[in-house]
Amino acid sequence: MTVKPDLAAGLALPFASTAPWKGSSARLEVIAVIDETADVKTFVFRPEGGGWFSYKPGQFVTLELPVPGGPVWRTYTLSSTPTRPFSASVTVKAQAGSIGTRWMFDTLVPGMTLTASGPAGHFSHWNHLAERYLFLSAGSGITPMMSMLRAMADTAPASDVAFLTCGRTPGDLLFRDELEMLARQMPNLTLGLMVERKSAADRWHGLTGRIDMARLKFLVRDYRQREIFCCGPEPFMAGVRLMLEDAGFDMRHYHEESFGAPSKAQTQPQTKVQTQSQAQATSAEATSEAKTVTDDATAGRVPSQVQGAAPTAAPPAQDGTAPAGYAGDGMQLQFSRSDVTTTCAPGTTLLEAARAAAVRIPAACEAGMCGTCKVKKTAGDVAMEHNGGITDEEIGDGYVLACCARPLGPVTLEV
Amino acid sequence: MDVRNDMLKRVKNRREGYSLDQAFYTDPEYFRLDLDLIWYRDWLFVGHDCEVARAGSFFTVQVGDYPVVILRDSDGQIRAFHNSCRHRGSRVCTEHRGSSARLVCPYHQWTYDLDGSLLYARQMAEDFDKSQFSLKPVACESVAGYIFICLAEKPAEFAPFAQLMQPYFAPHRLTEAKVAFESTIIEKGNWKLVWENNRECYHCAGNHPELCKTYPEAPTVTGVAGGDEDPDLTEHWTRLEAGGLPSRFRMHESGQFRACRTPLIGDAVSYTISGRPAVQERLSAEVSQERIGALLLFHYPTTWNHVLGDHAVTFRVLPISATETAVTTKWLVNKDAVEGVDYDLDTLTHVWMQTNDQDRRIVEENAFGIKSPAYEPGPYSELHEGGVMQFVDWYCRSVETRLTEGGKSLRSVA
Ligand code: FES
Ligand code: FES
Ligand SMILES: [Fe+2]
Repeated sequence: MTVKPDLAAGLALPFASTAPWKGSSARLEVIAVIDETADVKTFVFRPEGGGWFSYKPGQFVTLELPVPGGPVWRTYTLSSTPTRPFSASVTVKAQAGSIGTRWMFDTLVPGMTLTASGPAGHFSHWNHLAERYLFLSAGSGITPMMSMLRAMADTAPASDVAFLTCGRTPGDLLFRDELEMLARQMPNLTLGLMVERKSAADRWHGLTGRIDMARLKFLVRDYRQREIFCCGPEPFMAGVRLMLEDAGFDMRHYHEESFGAPSKAQTQPQTKVQTQSQAQATSAEATSEAKTVTDDATAGRVPSQVQGAAPTAAPPAQDGTAPAGYAGDGMQLQFSRSDVTTTCAPGTTLLEAARAAAVRIPAACEAGMCGTCKVKKTAGDVAMEHNGGITDEEIGDGYVLACCARPLGPVTLEV
Repeated sequence: MDVRNDMLKRVKNRREGYSLDQAFYTDPEYFRLDLDLIWYRDWLFVGHDCEVARAGSFFTVQVGDYPVVILRDSDGQIRAFHNSCRHRGSRVCTEHRGSSARLVCPYHQWTYDLDGSLLYARQMAEDFDKSQFSLKPVACESVAGYIFICLAEKPAEFAPFAQLMQPYFAPHRLTEAKVAFESTIIEKGNWKLVWENNRECYHCAGNHPELCKTYPEAPTVTGVAGGDEDPDLTEHWTRLEAGGLPSRFRMHESGQFRACRTPLIGDAVSYTISGRPAVQERLSAEVSQERIGALLLFHYPTTWNHVLGDHAVTFRVLPISATETAVTTKWLVNKDAVEGVDYDLDTLTHVWMQTNDQDRRIVEENAFGIKSPAYEPGPYSELHEGGVMQFVDWYCRSVETRLTEGGKSLRSVA
């Protein structure tokens, strides 16, 4: 592939002569692909034909990826900062079994263009200005934090921010050099790097283990006075939530970005025209693909922000591991009153499966909060991550919230 | 003439010791004034702690125009809210009772947390501020297992009532009891007639054969004279108080509430035909004395009560219209008592089911007769109807005070 001359020349049209990029009307052009770690790359874009980006640090874009067999849509947090508006980037981890991200890794090179929509999302410190911040992240959950931190470095380098990030091994920690450089430039930046285990390849002097109250207090003694932003896989965020709630932290000052790819990220309008098997393929992938998904991506069907209890929709199995009972060709779902039997991919919610099978279950929040989608389960097991929309007693009586329960094997519902 | 002045004039000119003018019992405009002056201002008994045993349990009541939901929140606190959605006003809880993790409006599913805050409103504008649309709270207090609400913006002090009733009732552990049975009847009579009937036992001998097997008709017991000259009563009090059970007649200076322990006839210990306990398990392990009789409580305008050793019967009065009143009766027993094993529901409820029905007929006949153009207020019996006079006095004093306050200031009559 030949690099277009204006890419090489670093040509950027002046601000005044162009409008900011609008997801619906302009395509994105890849201008760089950067290797971050062994399985993480950053893709840098500019608006096709010139222009600039206007967004809040922490927001995301949705990319249409033209994989063989039909396009899929993937949502990625921008890791770039809006204070450098001429380009925007996403930082992406490829996991085994992923379709979309794997395609990006294999195919996307400078000069190619993609259809994208966005930016969107509410997970941004610009929405919650505070005197002091605590950014807590794990894995690729670091991307919105990086965006916010870079924006601070450019516009308010004296910001008081404690930046804690966790990785599996030292080699998995993203943006490590840049973080250390920023720590030198930002006098009130406290950096806390943590790994689950050391590795032979890298020297490590930081903390090891998983985040807990003792480690948090050790790194950020005044965490209570901080506006907390959290992003990472759902189990990580759930742990953080629990830890903060137990400590009596005022959860109105806690914000999280759902990370871990709820399959409802697929519920863009386009999904409707997908065939059943396509829907299965994409939602199966959703459970295995590393990316940041905000609930705002789902056409405003869920609250823009839930404090203290994010609309969690994490699939039952992280890392693409199929849940027990999954034979490879879908879970069998039976809707007894409607006399409909269908199959769905693991990670699909009962509600999504019902819709695909044209069985009507009333729903409102689709975030496990309002209880509207409560249905009786007469057989089978599900993994449910609700947000208080159902009582333990109701669960004991066999009820589930269809919007946030995913089958772990064959399931029968009384609808 | 303006109805307020009309009522005021009639209250002022009433003949003491006589029943009230017809309008008080029949006129819809007087009824509206009763709502404004009494029901929307006073503390109202609505139900029991044990009816909202777990977080998310709720029940609803309708007080005049106000639908209210009472629930237990996730911190275990009992709260009351106006049962009107902050979106377009739909009733949020439509059932009489239930249990729900959240309060979800059936109209557009606005979802409220158990503390009333709006958690979720589907697809509202991006800058929609949920914090501005919590369910409106209603003042709510619970004492010794009784939940009271007050619709007034500035409720009168609840403490005087709690201080008086708590020592009498706390030992009976109604907080932990369970409702074995509940019945609601509609009496076609003004709420004041329901009360007047309740406040005397002049009518008992001729109307309540079942109740009269165990409950004494003595006016000292039902009335408000204090009973100090009744040797049976004073002996009863002395014995029980020596055993640690507050029993003596005590009435608040406002006349709005009183508590008193009264003996039952002979060896009777419960409201059964035999006088024997209806429930094998005692209501409260704390109260082990024999023959404690009935602990009586009234609190105008919503409740009268009888707490026995084996069970409690509690009553709630709610006005429906000038000529209709709902009376809800609940039989509370030890929460561990098992129906069919420790008690037989029929035996437990028989006496008061009969008595209620008899009272309903009495009240309805009374209301019927009062509608006659020929009705004129008649004299109460000094001997037997002291309690009625006391109730009517309380009522007249309350409305008179509140009518002459001019504005809508919400002072207690105390
Ligand atoms: S739709 Fe609200 S809990 Fe499922
Ligand atoms: S009226 Fe309650 S949600 Fe619309
Ligand atoms: Fe009676």
